Amino acid sequence: MTYVALAYGFIWGAVFIYVLLVGRRVARIDAEIEDLRRRLKPRA
Amino acid sequence: MLSTMPSARRSRARFLVGLLLTMHGFFVAPLLVANAPLEKTMGIVQKIFYFHVPCAWLLILSTFVCAGGSLAYLFAGSERGDRLALCSAELGVLFGLCVMVTGPLWARAAWGVFWTWDVRLTSSLLLWLMLIGYGLARRYGGAGGRRLAAAMALFAAADVPLVYLSVNLWRGLHPNTRTVSSLAPGMRLPFFFSLAIFSALWGVLLALRMRAEHSQARLVELAIAIEDAEGNSA
Repeated sequence: MTYVALAYGFIWGAVFIYVLLVGRRVARIDAEIEDLRRRLKPRA
Repeated sequence: MLSTMPSARRSRARFLVGLLLTMHGFFVAPLLVANAPLEKTMGIVQKIFYFHVPCAWLLILSTFVCAGGSLAYLFAGSERGDRLALCSAELGVLFGLCVMVTGPLWARAAWGVFWTWDVRLTSSLLLWLMLIGYGLARRYGGAGGRRLAAAMALFAAADVPLVYLSVNLWRGLHPNTRTVSSLAPGMRLPFFFSLAIFSALWGVLLALRMRAEHSQARLVELAIAIEDAEGNSA
């Protein structure tokens, strides 16, 4: 039972960490895009 | 900007719905697996099969999608294909890691060792390492890194038939390809449900990762536009 729980727990943990990392990256890029848009707006 | 907001919200909503459905499945799958009949010789540890095989399937799917995207990039110059290849290679590394961890846990209980140089295990390890190599070639390969990585993806795809058929061609410790088709009736529903949920999760993660790549491309376009505007005003 321990091995089964370890296997399933590992998959959960790996997917959770991956989603967290990609989600944070998307948020950072979106913030940078907004910043650049604000900088570009007065010139337009 | 305003005109693009609703579609951005829609895509976020679609992503959240997909994620919730998948997460729901991740809670239901263990219940089905727990109620599945016990395998006679291995007992409860055989239940790792319900998660290990879907992860291995996603490793193979990721490799094929990565190779398809790489082909589009190499022969048609498709940037979208290149982005798809990168995202699927990353998912291949993620699910390959799950295979490399869950497999040895099962092996320890069934064979008494975490690892043995069985041809299925070795060819799977090579496939996983090739996908890691793909990422490294892109990151550190310099100007031609993306083309080099794309060529590596084709080699990785060529390894997939070897991985799949190795258990039939060379009789090792690993169960052969007829295991799924010979499953007991009570084991089929939990297995195929788990396979469907893992595949759905893969789709959701690919969409999330593609969105990150798309945003990154837009960021580069905006930075170039600002540089041009600054150059014109100087």
